[in-house]
This record gives sequence, C-alpha cells and structure tokens, in this order.
Amino acid sequence: MPPTNTAPIIEINGINKSFGAFKVLNDLSFSVAPREKLALIGPSGSGKTTILRILMTLEGIDSGEILVDGDSLYQMQRNGKLQPADDAHLHKMREKIGMVFQLFNLFPHKCVLDNVTLAPMLTKGVSRKDAEHHAMELLDMVGLADKAKSMPSQLSGGQKQRVAIARALALKPKIMLFDEVTSALDPELVEEVLNVLWKLCRETDMTMLLVTHEMGFAHDFADRVLFFDRGRIVEDGKPDEIFRHPKQERTQAFLKKIIAAGHRV
Amino acid sequence: MGQWAGYLQLILDGAVVTIKLTLMGSALALVMAFLAGLGRLSRFAPVRWLATAYIEFFRGTSIFVQLFWAYFVLPLFGFTLTPLQAGVLALGLNVGAYAAEVVRGAIKSIGKEQYEACTALNFNRWQGLRHVILPQAFVLMLPTFGNNAIELLKASAVVSLISLSDMTFQAQVVRAQTGSTLFPFLTILILYFAIACVISFAIRGLERHLTRGLDGIRS
Repeated sequence: MPPTNTAPIIEINGINKSFGAFKVLNDLSFSVAPREKLALIGPSGSGKTTILRILMTLEGIDSGEILVDGDSLYQMQRNGKLQPADDAHLHKMREKIGMVFQLFNLFPHKCVLDNVTLAPMLTKGVSRKDAEHHAMELLDMVGLADKAKSMPSQLSGGQKQRVAIARALALKPKIMLFDEVTSALDPELVEEVLNVLWKLCRETDMTMLLVTHEMGFAHDFADRVLFFDRGRIVEDGKPDEIFRHPKQERTQAFLKKIIAAGHRV
Repeated sequence: MGQWAGYLQLILDGAVVTIKLTLMGSALALVMAFLAGLGRLSRFAPVRWLATAYIEFFRGTSIFVQLFWAYFVLPLFGFTLTPLQAGVLALGLNVGAYAAEVVRGAIKSIGKEQYEACTALNFNRWQGLRHVILPQAFVLMLPTFGNNAIELLKASAVVSLISLSDMTFQAQVVRAQTGSTLFPFLTILILYFAIACVISFAIRGLERHLTRGLDGIRS
C-alpha cells in the first residue's frame, strides 16, 4: 500500500544516543508516513534495533526529539512548558505502539489465550469475554486457534512468535515494531512467521517498522528501506533502489556480504 | 505406662503451641518478607532505606535478644504482649528479614525481557509485578521459603525462655518431674522432625502444582 501524502506518524529529529562511550545513534533524523511499511537494515551495532527500542520507550534518548502522531514521545506540555514525560504521558503514548521481540518474550506461566488477553483486560478494561473473543480471532489469523489452551513451553519457536504477534495486535496499535522477529528461529520456521507479517502488511492500515536480516522479505514487504551504519542512515529509498542499485559504497559492501552468506535478495 | 501417657499428653499440648507459633510466625514472616523485599526494590529511596534497615537489624541481632525485647522491654514503653504474641512477633520479624532477601533475589532473577514485554504491552509497574513478575518469582522463592519455615519451627524453641509452654518447655517440665532425659527429648526430637517433614512435603507439593506447564521455559 503506497503511503499517502499526509503528516508523518513518526518524526525523528536529530536524536543522539550513547551506551557509555559507544555512540549508537548519531544526530539521526527521519520520518514515517501513516500506513508506511518500512524496513530497517544494516550491520549489527548500526543502531536499527535501538531505534525500535527507543520508540517503544524501552530506552531513553540523550538529545533530540521524537514525535508520534503529533505528540512528543519523551516530553509533555504542562502549564505551557515542555517537561520530561511522566508515567501517565508515556502510558498514553504507548497505546499507539506495539512491539514484537526477537526472543518472543511470552509470559511462560500463562497459556496462549491468557498471553493475548492479559493486556487488553488490564490496560483497556476490556471484559474477559470480549478480550477472549478478539484473541481467538487474532489466534485464528496467525493460524493458532487450536493452541489457545497450550502453554508457551509446548510451542515451537515459530508458533511462539506468532502468539507474540497476536499478543501485540490485541492492543490495536497504530504502529507496529518488529525487531528481528525471525532471527532466533530455525530456518524451516521462518516462513510461517513471515507469512503472518505479509498478511498484516496487505490487510491492515498499521504503520510497520521492520528490523530484519531477511533481505528478500524486506524487498517484497517494504515501501521504503533505510540502510543504517554506525548510527546514521546511509541510504534511504525504495526497495528496488536499495537492493538492485545501491548508490553508497557501504550499502553495496553490506549487501555483497549478505549475499555471500547465502541470503536471497 | 499410664504415667508416660500423661507426660506424652503434656508434650503434645506443647506441640500444639509450637505448631501455632510456627504457622502464625510464618504468616507474619511472609508478610514482612514481601513488604521489605519489595521495599528494597522501590523507586523511592526512603522506602529502600527503611526496608534495608529492617532487614539488617533483624538479621544482625539474635532472635533470643529480640524475643526478650518483645516480652520484657516493650512493656516498659507501654506495650504489653502475651508470651504467644511476643513469640510470634519476634519469630515473624526475624525470619521475615531473611525471607525478604529471598523475595528480592527471586524478583531480580526474572529476565529483563519479561519487564520489557510488560512495558511494550503498556502495563504499569504494579500490573507487571502482580501478573507477570511475581507469579514467576514466587515459584523460585518456594524452596527457600521452605527452609525459612523450618528454621522458624526450630527457632520457636526459644520461646520456652519466656515461659511459653511450647514443646521444648514441656519437655523440660517432664524431665524435671520424672528425672528422665531420654523420654521427653527423644519424643520432641521425633515431633520436630515430623513437623519439619510436613512443611517440606507441603512446599514441594505447592511447587509441583505451580510449575506445571512451566518446565523448559526458563533459559
């Protein structure tokens, strides 16, 4: 779905982030249009995962500004002044954003259905009946309706990741962040997860940011690809431009390495 | 024979007191353990200081001294406790201080990814703790809680020093009256061991019940 010409849903303006002496993000700026499907690629340590973690408020920023849906993520207006966001502000902002993790992060003590229903019931006050109804629709969508009563320990990695996707979708976020969601999976389980992402890509209005090493999938999935290196965006363009005709040397070198490692582009 | 049955009855009366002390002391210890254990993880520094002060003080002074304070010194400040109340208070506060570190350790051992899932699903701190962290941490606390409860059972013998007629106190009474050491002390040896076994089995059963379906998850 091509992005329409409206105000961006995410605006990142000159953010910096360091872990100790290591500068992960260096004066980084970009914006994302509503409904846009964005793939973030690049070598490890290039800062792409950190971007997602910052958007999910799992990491703070050292300086710069992030706007989500027009509101500052880490600052809020109080008495006409900008102040650091408090818990209530962060809570409001997180309602718009969902995240799926590399290692699934399911709740091991809860069955699949409870993993999906817990958040809507706690954070949105949805009744158990409605939450379960919606959860079953989502589990059906990811092909796991028959596993609703299973414990996470009884599932394969691919199944766990599909549950994690259903769990994040249960809160109906406007923006979904996928952080290397197939990296921890055995090769034969990657496809079932990518199929779910593909379905979401075609059938929903969500803005999606995907950090991935699956270049072939990134090519098909994304409206736009950002190539990261050393905390900066080196190249930003349509999938065909980035993957077929990369302009920057570093992009070319990276893709060459990836192809040498046997990934399809 | 009839004479020994009477003495056995005395010791069994004492066992009832010991069991009462153990149950009530453990209940107080559990409450204190969660209050102080969570307190040490609080965002608010004064809460952390208070919890740390409690834990260090009650671990660092003897249960014997604590019991004498509860029973003999508090009345000087206008708080008069029955021997049973003083015993429960001293045992509960003392063992609670040890168990607080168990609570803290178990909570800290839950992986960062579980907290991150809570944030990503927009839980507030309490919701995450209540529904995600504590249910998993509690299973990890259980074996050590079992140890703590058995420690409390054995420590409860100190209450005989403030004339509360627990099992040890009664054994001394029987010894004084009969001149036999073997009979009363063999009897309470067996009884202490039997009660400790019940605690062990109960905790292990609870652990089995709570870990059902959890196996193979913790990496």
